[in-house]
Amino acid sequence: MARRTSLALLIVLALVVATVVPGFTQAKPPVVVALVAAMSGGSALSGEAIKRGLTVAIDEINAKGGVLGGRKIELVVRDEEGNPSKGVTAARDVIEREKAVAVFGGLHSPVGLAMLPVFHELKVPYVGTWAAATNITRNGRTPNYMFRVSANDDAVDHFLAKHVVEKLGAKKPGVILENTPWGASNQEGLTKWFAQMKVQPVGFEKFNWNDSDMSPQLLRLKNGGADSIVMVANAPEGAQVVKSRAKIGWNVPTVSHWGISGGRFAELTGELSESVVFVQTYSFFGKQSETGERVIAALKSKHGIKGPEDILAPVGTANAYDAMHLVALAIEKAGAADGAKVRDALENLGEYKGLIKTYKRPFTPEQHDALTENDYILVTWKGGKIIPVAR
Amino acid sequence: MIAQLLFSGLALGSMYALVALGYNITYATSQTVNFSQGQSVMVGAVVAYVLYVGLGWPFWAALPVTLVALALLGVIVERVAVRPFLRARSIAWLLATIAVGIIGENLAMIFFGKDARAFPSALTQTPWTILGAGVYPHELLVPVVGILLMALVELGFRRTLAGKALRAVAFSHDAAGLMGINVHRTITAAYALSSVLAGVAGILLAPLLNVSATMGTTIGLKAFAVAIIGGIESPRGIVAAGILYGLFEAIVAGYLGTGVREILGFALVIVVLLARPWGLFGQPGVRRV
Repeated sequence: MARRTSLALLIVLALVVATVVPGFTQAKPPVVVALVAAMSGGSALSGEAIKRGLTVAIDEINAKGGVLGGRKIELVVRDEEGNPSKGVTAARDVIEREKAVAVFGGLHSPVGLAMLPVFHELKVPYVGTWAAATNITRNGRTPNYMFRVSANDDAVDHFLAKHVVEKLGAKKPGVILENTPWGASNQEGLTKWFAQMKVQPVGFEKFNWNDSDMSPQLLRLKNGGADSIVMVANAPEGAQVVKSRAKIGWNVPTVSHWGISGGRFAELTGELSESVVFVQTYSFFGKQSETGERVIAALKSKHGIKGPEDILAPVGTANAYDAMHLVALAIEKAGAADGAKVRDALENLGEYKGLIKTYKRPFTPEQHDALTENDYILVTWKGGKIIPVAR
Repeated sequence: MIAQLLFSGLALGSMYALVALGYNITYATSQTVNFSQGQSVMVGAVVAYVLYVGLGWPFWAALPVTLVALALLGVIVERVAVRPFLRARSIAWLLATIAVGIIGENLAMIFFGKDARAFPSALTQTPWTILGAGVYPHELLVPVVGILLMALVELGFRRTLAGKALRAVAFSHDAAGLMGINVHRTITAAYALSSVLAGVAGILLAPLLNVSATMGTTIGLKAFAVAIIGGIESPRGIVAAGILYGLFEAIVAGYLGTGVREILGFALVIVVLLARPWGLFGQPGVRRV
């Protein structure tokens, strides 16, 4: 009996010490979130941009005392090298070993799609910050563990098609896209939306990565009578398309998906860059909100950038920044570092004033894309800077 | 349309030929192939970019330094990835040269960066119109320089002592050795020369293709296909096959679409291998008994 009392006393003592002595409160375990993205290879810039956005947000959250009553947020990063099977391994690793309660995804849609079953099996939410494939979030599963704070191809395709048909008045758009699953996803979307607008594209021309001369493809579109170009490309190939177009002396409006913003398109094309308009979710150029100023200041002090023109792959940073804040709100709302509860909380968040916009209700059980077509902006280059275009 | 396609194909084809000629030179002298030729293309462009654009050197100074760096690269590849295996009569040089290429590509990603950079050239600013086709003047320079260089190599082989040594080694290691030719050194020289040729292709292509760590991978592979089609033992065959392959690609892409370009191109490789294993322009090897 006496022995049991002393044990109970000891426990009480331990609890008292834990709450009174500051050293104990600081030792609260961190809440781990993970980034599984391409950190090396041709798309490494995107991974770095996402990591920066997450880090800026995490520093803000931790400076305000973290989540769940003083627990700091900790980020672990894994490189999937653009390889779906490595993504699957990394997703398992960060959830099972590092105990991540949410996993952010990178640029490559095939990787996001490959990891999808893992998140459902281990019951931890995925929050995409770049990859735009429509069926990552619209996957038919309930409960759905896939969320996204980024564009989605289907909506981008509608956005582009609408601009080409309604604003430019095009009757015969020509499409040129990369010969990859991403290109295919957009061919599907563009075919669907153009058909709905009763417009028949002249053709869907394709190119491979590292192709140097796109004039044969463009000539096919030109000879078919195209009056505008819709382009789905990353920066290096997008630059070749624009240069080849200038070479064959073909001056038609060119609108592009956002892949060309992931590299140095303006440097590669010079003045020609000003002939292309494209989609973004956010621009660090122009007048910034208070949040925008704060993010730029944090990037300046941490990464030595001089201005918005140094923020390469800006959408990655902006999307990741908002995604991290939304996840932190969900952890707080869930009241526990538990993947399934965080997932439920994400669907029921209230208003959040973010960088990209004020989210009324970021996600619902039916809508797992926090950004919609109305949030996209149309931009172009002017003197190497990305500036918004009036719609 | 056809004029446009011919110009496109000619520029690309002469680059394939230049890189493929490097395969021929090492194969002829040592029966080995440097599978990091594609990365030599990249190194040529990257080193020239760093000196000319990065450090702001004048081009006449950047060019010779780049060529020396390329020759050194060829020497290193031969010493590290070829000679040890050749001595052991192993074909592991095949994997070893591929490995060198992958290492080179990743080193470039670390030190040069991962995104493509623009290589400025006054000749890619305004296109000319020739026969109704738009052409950047630089695109005309590429085949001119390429063909001149290939002619120079051919001449060097026939007229200079070093060239004759190369041909002697190609004919027979033993006989050449008996005649007092240093076989090892000649093979090393062959690797240096092949690396320089690929690197020149890289410098020529840089203003058209942009400079990036992965720019040489595809061209290295296609040049090898060209070497097989033309006949890896036939330098003239390779030059012809390279230019024809470039034209073939442009015309297929222009009339049938890009989707079928690689299918037809590499199907051609298989057909040639089946019908004429020694290449379209090569001659069946003499069996030595």
